Amino acid sequence: MADFSVRNDNVDVEQIMRQVRSRIREKRGVDYTEDEIRELASVKLERFLDPKGVRSDLLDQYRKRREASTAPRNYAFEDSTLYESSRPLLRALRKLLNPILKLFFNPTPMVEALHIQSRLNESYNQAEALYYELIHNLVIETTRLGIEVKNLKMRVESMSSRLDFDERRARALEGVVQYRPGAVAPLPPPASGEREHREQRDQRDQRDRGRDREGDRDRQDRQPDRERQPANLGAVDPERRNRRRRRRGRRRPGGPGFGDRPGEASSSEGAGSDSGGPATQAGGGPAASGGDAPEARAAEAPAAAPSGEAGSSSAES
Amino acid sequence: MKLAVVVQRYGADINGGAEQHARYIAERMATHAQVEVVTTCARDYVTWKNELPAGADTVNGVAVRRFPVARERDPRDFGRRSHEVFETTHSLADELAWLESEGPTSPALIDYVSSAGAGFDFILFFSFRYYHSWHGVRRAGGRAILVPTAERDPAVALSIFGPVFRGVRGIMYNSHEERAMIQAATRNHSVPGVVVGVGSDVPARTEPMRFRRRHKINRPFAIYIGRIDANKGCAELFDYFQRYAMTFPRGLDLVLVGTAVMPVPSHHRIRHLGFLPDEDKFDALAAADLLIMPSYFESLSMVALEAWALGRPVLANGRCDVLKGQCIRSNAGLYYESYEEFAETLYALESNGPLHARLGRNGRDYFARHYAWPVIERKYLDMLERLQSQPAAAIEPLPGWMARRKRELPPAARVLEAIPSGAVVAEREAMRQERPA
Repeated sequence: MADFSVRNDNVDVEQIMRQVRSRIREKRGVDYTEDEIRELASVKLERFLDPKGVRSDLLDQYRKRREASTAPRNYAFEDSTLYESSRPLLRALRKLLNPILKLFFNPTPMVEALHIQSRLNESYNQAEALYYELIHNLVIETTRLGIEVKNLKMRVESMSSRLDFDERRARALEGVVQYRPGAVAPLPPPASGEREHREQRDQRDQRDRGRDREGDRDRQDRQPDRERQPANLGAVDPERRNRRRRRRGRRRPGGPGFGDRPGEASSSEGAGSDSGGPATQAGGGPAASGGDAPEARAAEAPAAAPSGEAGSSSAES
Repeated sequence: MKLAVVVQRYGADINGGAEQHARYIAERMATHAQVEVVTTCARDYVTWKNELPAGADTVNGVAVRRFPVARERDPRDFGRRSHEVFETTHSLADELAWLESEGPTSPALIDYVSSAGAGFDFILFFSFRYYHSWHGVRRAGGRAILVPTAERDPAVALSIFGPVFRGVRGIMYNSHEERAMIQAATRNHSVPGVVVGVGSDVPARTEPMRFRRRHKINRPFAIYIGRIDANKGCAELFDYFQRYAMTFPRGLDLVLVGTAVMPVPSHHRIRHLGFLPDEDKFDALAAADLLIMPSYFESLSMVALEAWALGRPVLANGRCDVLKGQCIRSNAGLYYESYEEFAETLYALESNGPLHARLGRNGRDYFARHYAWPVIERKYLDMLERLQSQPAAAIEPLPGWMARRKRELPPAARVLEAIPSGAVVAEREAMRQERPA
């Protein structure tokens, strides 16, 4: 949506409208003028549409047919038409003798019927023109849509090829990366308790790898770990422990700095109503919750994992 | 100085645009001259049914003289005749019959203008398209000043009005676009005219919170004030707004003020409050973020001027030349011609605080410079003074009986199509130069 920067005291409405229109054009992608669309519809239609299905010269054909037609389109018929004449005397005489005519038959229903027919003819003429106009406009719109579909197809193809390339690249990079113990930057010299803890952790890592291979033994090994953990944590120096706690707290729902869950934040009435209206409000919708989802998953992970292990190891690495 | 104001309906509770315009001008000019309003007994502009008593009356201190309407309008007959003159080749007699059918047919009023007209220095006729103006101008001699209140509708292209526009003493236009259209349609460039418009009694203080409390409106909103009618562009507004509301679930609400003659969609973000008294209306405008004017045809939007007077920007329908021209000249409003533009401009107005504030400030300045009452009164008085020193032009006589019946006049709608349209932007530069430093 448009975001106009108003830098000085004077605003120029025409300038803003030009910006609005250019932004709309950008959004639409390729924007054709009406003339260009008409030209495309009349000349290049066969390139985009099935020429057997839609004719590009509908309006021209219609106009030619109308011009070629010799049949009168309509006639004027009023209540005085029957008695009209180019000679005023004759017209007056007819009007004078009208009561005598009415002795023989009643011309009024005939006059009314012919008048209604005249109106019907006129409305038919108008409707006919409208139908052709409508078909013509549909042809133009179909052309526009055809062009857009073609553009979009090309974009989708280009994006899918890029995606394939990225996936291949990611797989290749994954294959290249290897775990090297010396590659990680050395930590500050640990305290004696810390060294002990690290040894135990290495053992645990080895055991975990074994657990992956031997799934049944996993449950048996997990229980001693849980029991061991408080003692290990107690051995870490207070500064590192605090830091780790802060990290965990940040990731845990309701912890410091995390706030509400995305869904709850977006549903609270008035949140963001003061801060920029629809931009923030729209942001609280599906897009925002989608954006927060990885964090939410990360926040749930420590709670689901055996206490502190997965969370702490991932936080450290 | 003695002035007469001739208008189709008149009353403190009659809220038609031209009628309110006439009342405001009559009341304001009454402080400078002796004013008498000459009008009909009708209240309803569709039927012209006699509802008010004939004779002398006083409305807000202004003398009013009412005359009965001889016959009410038959909508079917009027519709048929409108189709005939607007859409088909027709004669001058057909146009005169259309005028009779439109009304308000009040021969007594015309007789009064004819007999008592000499007692007035000038007679101001409001709304060119009605019976009273066409016949009244022809009877008033050189005293007639016309306030056309013309919109871009086919009536302005009817042949019968050409002599009226060319034969009046002066014309008080509502907008530059109206003047351009009338001059193109009737070639009346020689007739003295000035773009005036009308002011409004905007209160010095408004209480937006009172309005919010009274109507339990807590959210920010855009407002539409006027008759809720498809002809006023409301159908398009509802369509656009509902689409916008889907895109921005927490954007502005839409509040509608005015009588509904079409169904208002049931939508949780559209509130219809019905007709409101002036005090409430101004509070509502002050409480609103912006005013939306979806009308395709306007001679002068008083409510847009009122919004500008209160520092509120306007979002107007760009297909209305007058509104678009005013937005451009004032730099106080945006306009749209499609849904995409509607969404972009509405979003810009509701989300961009600096833009909103500057448009609002420009609107306030524009109103003060062109539509404050002292400015309007001065323009009227200057025009009257100028006309007193200029000779009156004679009005062209009607063609003969036979010539009137020749069916050779083109459909008015086709004539109107040929008249150039668009906002008169060239005037803006001139206005900028006029602006005091």
